[in-house]
Amino acid sequence: MADGTRTDILARTESVCPTCLRRLPAMREKQGEDVYLVKKCPEHGEFRTIIWRGPLPFSSWQRPKKASPPRQTFTDTEKGCPFDCGLCPDHGQHTCTALIEVTSRCNLRCQVCFAAAGDHGAADPPLERIAFYYDRLLAASGPCNIQLSGGEPTVREDLAEIIRLGRDKGFSFLQLNTNGIRLAEEEGYARSLKAAGLSSVFLQFDGISDEVHQALRGRALAAVKERALVNCGFAGLGVVLVPTIMPGVNSGEIGSIINYAARFSPTVRGVHFQPVSYFGRYPHQPHNSARITLPEILLLLEEQTRGKVAASLFAPPACEHALCSFHANFLVQDNYRLQGITSWQQTCCAAAEANVEIPSAVEGREKNISFTARQWAAPKACVCPPTMVQENEDELDYFLRRAKTHTFSISGMAFQDAWNLDLERLQGCCIHVVSPEGKVIPFCAYNLTSSEGRALHRTWDV
Amino acid sequence: MSTFSFISETAWRCASCNKELHPRKVNVEYMGSVFNVELMVCPVCGFVLIPENLALGKMLEVEQLLEDK
Repeated sequence: MADGTRTDILARTESVCPTCLRRLPAMREKQGEDVYLVKKCPEHGEFRTIIWRGPLPFSSWQRPKKASPPRQTFTDTEKGCPFDCGLCPDHGQHTCTALIEVTSRCNLRCQVCFAAAGDHGAADPPLERIAFYYDRLLAASGPCNIQLSGGEPTVREDLAEIIRLGRDKGFSFLQLNTNGIRLAEEEGYARSLKAAGLSSVFLQFDGISDEVHQALRGRALAAVKERALVNCGFAGLGVVLVPTIMPGVNSGEIGSIINYAARFSPTVRGVHFQPVSYFGRYPHQPHNSARITLPEILLLLEEQTRGKVAASLFAPPACEHALCSFHANFLVQDNYRLQGITSWQQTCCAAAEANVEIPSAVEGREKNISFTARQWAAPKACVCPPTMVQENEDELDYFLRRAKTHTFSISGMAFQDAWNLDLERLQGCCIHVVSPEGKVIPFCAYNLTSSEGRALHRTWDV
Repeated sequence: MSTFSFISETAWRCASCNKELHPRKVNVEYMGSVFNVELMVCPVCGFVLIPENLALGKMLEVEQLLEDK
């Protein structure tokens, strides 16, 4: 580099051109502490996108797994990744969580929306079509966790029936991806979804201040979010807060979100961060300063919680590709402080010493399905007062009692867009969307759009 | 809070020091958490006895409860 910073090629992979979407060779290139995905289209030039920034070592973030192809594929491998998704026989992971988009309508107009909801007026799929989606998932991978998504699913009047249908088909964990407006505003709505079999709410929650909601969602929503939380609590629904993190907009509220979430434990079962990604029409490459990477979020978590949520507690995933996510588990104590209850260092060092064989991706998938279903739903045990240590209870008894109700997960997942798409990551993806024609497509491939707004797999462009 | 106690007469002796075990307060770190406990300990080398009912009881319960992905 001109400034004398050393550059190393860490790995070779593949990606696509953000302009014409043709497949290209790509490199993960280390420059100082930072790592970039670099690729060059013969027609549209070079693209250099930040994928890892800061002092946490990129080399430490590994969790290899052996590829495990889908049980049943709905497409053949013809053009190669990412053009054959369905899933195709070359895919390396089964479905852990499947998104079913029950509508494309929405009651917000957000600046950030992976689904470009509300723009194209597509009709809602009827119940019979959703039954077909459930059947396709059972054929492709067997029972998995379901996330009902959109658009905003609560604009449908038959959402409870969709949930009931999923339960009847044998899916035991159904989660609702929502902005929370209807849960907040309609008396009895949360209870009706719980009665239908809903397990958990994936609540869009970008911050605790109205300024953040205004900036990202175009509306002051802080009070609405809190009402939604309270209503879910009374209904016995577990809630996961899901902030989309945009640098300079809400990256300063990461610690406040955690503190807020802990005070709503055990209704709030965890916080799941999503760094902003650039789906949709972006004629110019989003500047790297407009991106935030997973290790930066880990360091902000540590900094903004004054070390209570230490970056060293976090682990790469067992299910999806290591570079796609982080997670750690905590216990919410009586004073709402978080106590880390797993240590990745211990686990990984023990595994290295024991010379453990690389696990199959499907093992990670099974673990992830059961962990998510347990942690993101409301606790099964009764949350009975008093919560303090009892007379005849020892420390271990107290810990056991508390951990049955007040475990808390912090996780983050980095979606990929046309600039930072890494096909090695995509082939290990376990978060899949069912397309209108019943194909099962990795989330980031399904939402991939060129800089001109051309969609690779969605049936509409943005 | 009462101390978590596993003091009991035991036939076990410390193999290295050939000493009888005595009750002592120790901090046990398990699954990333520290518990204040009383256990039978070798007075010379400090080696701690984890009795079977603890290992297969509460400790196993903690492990199952906190199983990670």
